[in-house]
Amino acid sequence: MQKTQSFASRYMAMKRERFQHGLQTAKKNRGCYLFLAPYAVLFFTFFILPIATSIFYSFTYYNILEPARFIGLQNYVNLILQDEVFLTAIKNTFVIAVITGPVGYILSFLFAWFINELPKWLRAVAVVVFYAPSIAGAAFTVFSIIFRGDAYGWFNSILMEFGLIEAPRLWLTDPNYMMTILVIVILWMSMGTGFLSFVAGFQGIDKSMYEAGYVDGVRNRWQELYHITLPSMKPMLLFGAVMSITSAFNVSDVPRLLCGYPSTDYAARTVVTHLFDYGFSRFEMGYASAIATILFLVMILCKKAISAMLGRVGA
Amino acid sequence: MSETTSVRSNGVLQLIDGKKYRGYLEAGETGAAFYQKGKSEPFVEWHYTRIHRMDNIRRGGTTTQTTVILKDGSRYIFDLDYGLKVYNFMDGHWADKPVTPKTRGDELKRLAELRGEKIQVPKKHLITRRHPNRSIAGDIGIYLMLLIVGFAMVFPLLFLVGSSLKPLDELFRFPPPVWPQHPTMDNFSDLFVTMGQSWVPFSRYLINTVIITAVGTFGHLVIASMAAFVLAKYDFPGGKLFFNVVTTCLMFSGYVTGIPNYLIMSRLGMIDTYWALILPAFAAPIGLFLMKQFMEGLPTALIEAATIDGAGKFRIFWSIVMPNVKPAWLTMIIFSVQSLWNTSAATVIYSEAKKTLVYALQQIQAGGIARTGQVAAANVIIVAVPILIFVFSQSRILETMASSGIKD
Repeated sequence: MQKTQSFASRYMAMKRERFQHGLQTAKKNRGCYLFLAPYAVLFFTFFILPIATSIFYSFTYYNILEPARFIGLQNYVNLILQDEVFLTAIKNTFVIAVITGPVGYILSFLFAWFINELPKWLRAVAVVVFYAPSIAGAAFTVFSIIFRGDAYGWFNSILMEFGLIEAPRLWLTDPNYMMTILVIVILWMSMGTGFLSFVAGFQGIDKSMYEAGYVDGVRNRWQELYHITLPSMKPMLLFGAVMSITSAFNVSDVPRLLCGYPSTDYAARTVVTHLFDYGFSRFEMGYASAIATILFLVMILCKKAISAMLGRVGA
Repeated sequence: MSETTSVRSNGVLQLIDGKKYRGYLEAGETGAAFYQKGKSEPFVEWHYTRIHRMDNIRRGGTTTQTTVILKDGSRYIFDLDYGLKVYNFMDGHWADKPVTPKTRGDELKRLAELRGEKIQVPKKHLITRRHPNRSIAGDIGIYLMLLIVGFAMVFPLLFLVGSSLKPLDELFRFPPPVWPQHPTMDNFSDLFVTMGQSWVPFSRYLINTVIITAVGTFGHLVIASMAAFVLAKYDFPGGKLFFNVVTTCLMFSGYVTGIPNYLIMSRLGMIDTYWALILPAFAAPIGLFLMKQFMEGLPTALIEAATIDGAGKFRIFWSIVMPNVKPAWLTMIIFSVQSLWNTSAATVIYSEAKKTLVYALQQIQAGGIARTGQVAAANVIIVAVPILIFVFSQSRILETMASSGIKD
C-alpha cells in the first residue's frame, strides 16, 4: 500500500512538474500567443465552432424559428432508414469519390511526373495547361454547351455526324448519363493544389539520388519511381491525398450547375447538395447538421486510412 | 552523419563583371563549391581552413540560401539569389562586394598555357540524353500521352473562348464549329448592354468582387503569416496541437460548414455584409498551412542573430521573416484570390447591390439558351483573372509548394 501510494504521488509530482515546465515555456513565449491570437480567434469562430455547432445540432430538431429540441439519434435514424434520397446522394457521392478521388490523384501524380521530364519552358506551359481547369472556377459550365441536349450541342453533333446515334441525347437531364458526364467533368478539374504540390516535389528531389541510382543499377523509370522518387515524395503524397479527399467529397457546384437543382429523379444529387437542400431550402438545420457530421467522420476516416497506406510506400 | 555533410542550393552566381552563371552551390565538410549547370567540375571553390572545419550546414529558406557554421562559431550564409553574397556573422555584415572567384577552368588554362599546350574543348552533343536509364519508346509514349491529355484539358477552355467570339448564327449552326469562322466581340458588348439594363449595374458586381477579394486576401496574408511565423519558429505549448487541428480542417470546405457558419454569422450580425465573406477568408487553413511549411525552411540562424541584436518579435517578423518569404506570399495570394474571386455568396448576402460577379453570371445563365453567347463572354472575363495571375507567378508558387508536404 505504502509503495503504491508513493508511486502514485511520484507520478503526480512528475505530472505537476511537467505542467509547471509547460507553464514556464508558455510564459516565456507569451508573445507567441499574441501573434497567434488574431488567426486563432477567427479560425475558432469560422471553422471549429461551426463543426462543434454542427455536431450539437445534429442531435436536435431545429428550424431556426423555434428553439432547438433534443431528439437524440432520431436524425441519424431517419437519414439511414427513411431518407431514400439521402441513400441516392450517398451512393452518388461514393461513386464520384471512389472514381474521381483515386483516379484524379493518380493522374495528378503521373502527369506531374511526366511533366517533370520536359525541358523547362515546356514544363511551365504544361503546368498551366493542366492546372488551368481547376482554377478556372465556373468555367466548367461550358460543358453545358458541349453536352447540350439538342443537335446544336457539340458532343451530340459529333456523334450524329459519325452516325453513332440517330437522335440527340439528353446528356445532362437523362439519369442514365448524368453520373458519367459528372465524373468526366470532375476528372477534368481534378489537377488542383495536389498536382502543384507534386510538380514542386519532383523538382525538389536531390538529383544526386538519381545519379546514385544509375550506379546502383536502377534500370528503368519505373524502378526509379518506386525506389527513389516515391519515398522522397511521401509528405507531398499525403498533402495531395488530403486535397483530393476534400474535393472528392465536397462535390456540389458541378452537379448543381450542370444537371439542375434538383436534378431529374435526384440522379445527380450528392451529399453536399442534399445538405444544402435541407439547410437552406427547408431550414431543417438539425437534419442538415446530421448530414454534415456524417461527412466529417467519413473524411477523417479516409485521411487516416490513406496516411496508414502511404506509410508502406517504397519501404 | 553523412546526411549532414553536404547541401545543395540552386541559383545564379553573378560575378563582379556582371556575368551570370546558372548552377548550384554545394557546401560540404571541407569547403563550398559552385557548379555550373551540367558541369561536373566545380566552377569556383572555397576552402574552410583545416582548424575551422564546418560544423553544421543547413539549406536556407529560399532554395538559394545555404548556411555554414564553422567549428570556431563563425557562420556564413551563401546566398545565390542576389548574385553570390556571403554573410559573415563574425563581422555581422554582408560582404559589400560579390566575391570574385578564379575559376578552376581559368587556372587549368593558365597552367596549360605555361606548358605551351592547347586545351581541348569538349564537343557539344546535338541531343543530350538527360537520363541514361530511359527508353526512347517510353519517352515518345509519354510525349504522346501529354499531348493528347493536354489537348483534352485545353479543349473545353478553347471551346469557351470560341463560344464567346461566335456570332449568333454560328452558335446555332449544325454541326457547331469549335472556333468561329467570323469572330466577333458582339457577345461582350451585348453582355454590357444586358448588364447595363439590369437594376444593378455590372460595374457594381465587379466592384463588390474586387473589394471582397482585395480586403480578404490582404488580411489573410497578414494574419495567417503572423500565426505561421510563431508556429514555425517557436516551440510553445499548444502550438503543435493547433497546427494539427488546422491541418485536419484543410479537408472541410466552406460547403460543409456552410449551415452552422450561417447561424454564427447571423448571431454576429454579419449577414448581408461583406464581412460574412471576408472574415472567414482571413482564417483559411490552406494559407496558414503553406506559409508555416515554407517558413520552417528559413535558417534559424537569421532569427537567432536578430534576437541577440535585441530585435523584438514583431520586428523580426516584419523586417526579416516577411521579406524572405515572398514566394509564399504569392502562393497565399493566388489561393485566396482564386477562392474569393469565384465565390457566389448566394447564401450569406441577399441585397442585390452587394452580390458578386459570379452570382451575376449565374443569373444571366438562368436567362436560358438565348444568352449562350453572353454567358460564355462573362465566363471568359471571370476565368481570365485567376489563370493570368497563375501564369505570371508560377515559378514562385512552385517554390512554395515544394515545402507543402505533410510530415506524418
